[in-house]
Amino acid sequence: MSTRPSHPPRDTDTHLPMEPVAQPGYYPDYDVISQQNAWDDATRKVVLSRLQSRPSLQFFNPAEAEMMLLVCDHIIPQDDRDADHRIEIIPVIDERLHKKRTAGYRYETMPPDDEAYRLFLQALDLMSRHNHGKQFSGLSWREQELILQSINKGKPLEGAGEVWLRLPVHQIWTLFVGDCITAYYQHPWSWNEIGFGGPAYPRAYIRLERGEAEPWERDENRYDWEAPPESVSDLDELSHHDHFPHLTKGGVHD
Amino acid sequence: MQKLRAEGSQFTDRGTVDYVIVGVGSAGGVLLQRLARAGFKVLGLEAGPFWDTEKDWLSDEAGSNKLYWEDLRITGGVNPISLGANNSGKGVGGGSVHWAAFTPRLHPSDFQVYSLDGVGTNWPISYEDLKPYYELLELEMPVSGPAWFPWGDPHGYAYGPHPLGEVGDVLVRGCTKLGIRVCAGGPVAILAGSHDDRPHCIYRGYCIQGCKVGAKASTLITHVPDALRHGAEIRDYSMASRIALGPNNRVEGVFYFDREGTERFQRAKAVIVAGYAIETPRLLLNSACPEYPMGLANSSDTVGRYLMVQAGNVILGRFRNLVRMYKAPPAHALTEEFYETDPKRDFARGFAIQTVGPLPIAFGKQMMAAMGAWGWGLRRVMMDYNHWSALGLLGEILPWHANRVTLAKETDQFGIPVAHVHFNLFDNDKKLIEFGKNKVMEVMSAAGAEQVVQEQRYAHLVGAARMGADPGTSVVDKFGRTHDVPNLFICDGSIMPTQGSANPGLTIQALAARTADYLIMQGERIFRSDLRELTAPTPRVDLSPAGTFRKGIPRPHASWIFSRRIAHAKA
Repeated sequence: MSTRPSHPPRDTDTHLPMEPVAQPGYYPDYDVISQQNAWDDATRKVVLSRLQSRPSLQFFNPAEAEMMLLVCDHIIPQDDRDADHRIEIIPVIDERLHKKRTAGYRYETMPPDDEAYRLFLQALDLMSRHNHGKQFSGLSWREQELILQSINKGKPLEGAGEVWLRLPVHQIWTLFVGDCITAYYQHPWSWNEIGFGGPAYPRAYIRLERGEAEPWERDENRYDWEAPPESVSDLDELSHHDHFPHLTKGGVHD
Repeated sequence: MQKLRAEGSQFTDRGTVDYVIVGVGSAGGVLLQRLARAGFKVLGLEAGPFWDTEKDWLSDEAGSNKLYWEDLRITGGVNPISLGANNSGKGVGGGSVHWAAFTPRLHPSDFQVYSLDGVGTNWPISYEDLKPYYELLELEMPVSGPAWFPWGDPHGYAYGPHPLGEVGDVLVRGCTKLGIRVCAGGPVAILAGSHDDRPHCIYRGYCIQGCKVGAKASTLITHVPDALRHGAEIRDYSMASRIALGPNNRVEGVFYFDREGTERFQRAKAVIVAGYAIETPRLLLNSACPEYPMGLANSSDTVGRYLMVQAGNVILGRFRNLVRMYKAPPAHALTEEFYETDPKRDFARGFAIQTVGPLPIAFGKQMMAAMGAWGWGLRRVMMDYNHWSALGLLGEILPWHANRVTLAKETDQFGIPVAHVHFNLFDNDKKLIEFGKNKVMEVMSAAGAEQVVQEQRYAHLVGAARMGADPGTSVVDKFGRTHDVPNLFICDGSIMPTQGSANPGLTIQALAARTADYLIMQGERIFRSDLRELTAPTPRVDLSPAGTFRKGIPRPHASWIFSRRIAHAKA
């Protein structure tokens, strides 16, 4: 993992940056992987394979990969995770695009996924040049964040108008963020972070009501944190907007 | 655990089978089983694999994509619908492999929507025609459910209900607070106790990833084993490309690509298309020929039209206490209190409210859609995954002429033109969704949620080759026989003229059992005669898979007993 400027979340009381840890989230000593002997063979094999590093990229070229790294650090920031416990997102997307695996449909207004990804990266550079005279990678972290926020809101900053004619803003944002979500939340470390029980065949779950923990699960142990001040992606930034019509138009989500 | 095995090939391309069934899913599995039991030579062509469930299926969200139809389709219109994992299966069992397995019946009113409400259309059959088949299939799957189901045609279930998960508890709590009747523990085609060679549910929550436990019904485990025991053959990885029309306006067989990609031809005395609401019209349109230039059996220009999805908004509520919605089957409690047309509302027809249980990846995408979550906000709301509960709106969208499947210019890996889906919401649909969505949000709040958000989306697929009495406005008759070609049948969700607010799986299988009874009653006449007999068959109770009919504890008088008690209470 290359050294990147860190923008960790802050302690709500002291407003000081929090030390990165192996396992953020409210279930500090929960380890779903410790339950692997209770899983069936096929599932264990697939889940544990996610702990191995992935083969080198085949779809993205080095320049695209570098840019993807920057963008994904905004979409799913991991500055609360220490360097040894960051979840790789780009290899998962790379593999899907390389193997031309799709969700089973394409919007008539969208180009094929591989083309859509390349156009999206182009759009980011065009917006960056138009507004700051530099490519996306040359912008400050805050400037990058604001560009992405404008796309999330469905009102991209100027500069890439021609691209958006071929690449509907809300559809590419949904595709991109959705792929990032799939990559991050398929990793068992993320299950530890959110307290998800994971595979339960053949053993079964036995406590179904009131959110009770299985004997091998953990109770919640919350702490307060706030996003770094240079970020505009925390939930309170969203609360200014009651509705996201570009995102809730319907049918754009699987 | 059941041992499943695909039997070796017994029919050859050079021979002629009685029936080729295209697609071994919800309908195809039942048809195959019934026709094989009745002694017909019957062959199922399935585009996907014959599953080895222990090896092929996972307790995992991201790793289960192979269950879904992932080949290219183009989707558009003003309100484009998502396909793939949302509503399209591939492989033996089809959609019944990845359904959540809610199995409510349609209501009697669903069969006469046009007569009652002046919208949509009527079915050429009534609820009473389908009721015996509902009762049969509820035992064959079998369906777990409450002793008393008060809506539509009230009835009870022979197999016991499931225990409540916390999401079900949320629905019961919210409905109770608002005085809305609610039922829990089903109806759902998941075993609460073991049944023959199938174990009971273990509440692991991965229902829509394929139930490798074997507790959730799919035709792969409920009907296909019985079909194979009675001589049926299934050819997996066999993608039908074209149905061949011969002389005398009768089909002669089906062209398909085998697993090596070689095009082959299977001769048959009759063909049943059971590919569901996208692939069925696609195959008919791709089978256009000089006699039917607009597509086979499409002289009415109705093939592909009146495609429907149901409003499937997901309403998410955050609770102070933990929920852990990944436990228990996503499908386990519901209310149909708003199912029927209410003259006090400004739209026709209605909706159901049902439990859903999104796993982390699905929940993350819902938060992206419902809240615009990304970045730290996404990480934060995901850390609260265990605090959220989800309920689903299931609302009736009406059949519209403009909502249709056509052929796109793009082709698939075999060179076959893919489907283009065009979908718009109309006024009644929009009003229904707005009202229904708000009602579910109200229920969620009444249950104690401190924050409620929602994502608009759609569920299920039906229509696009609808049945009807008028050959000018429908594709098949009331038994699934195409109006145009006497030995060509369609039997799957695509023949449904309207859809109600019930999940379509049970109705699709019930229609398949009914069509099978008709074909069996007609016997050899289907293969030789062009005469269209329209007398309904007597329901056959001797064709159920072994060990299902007359099992469980029937509740024949449940509605009578309960209505008497209610009458007493009122008096």
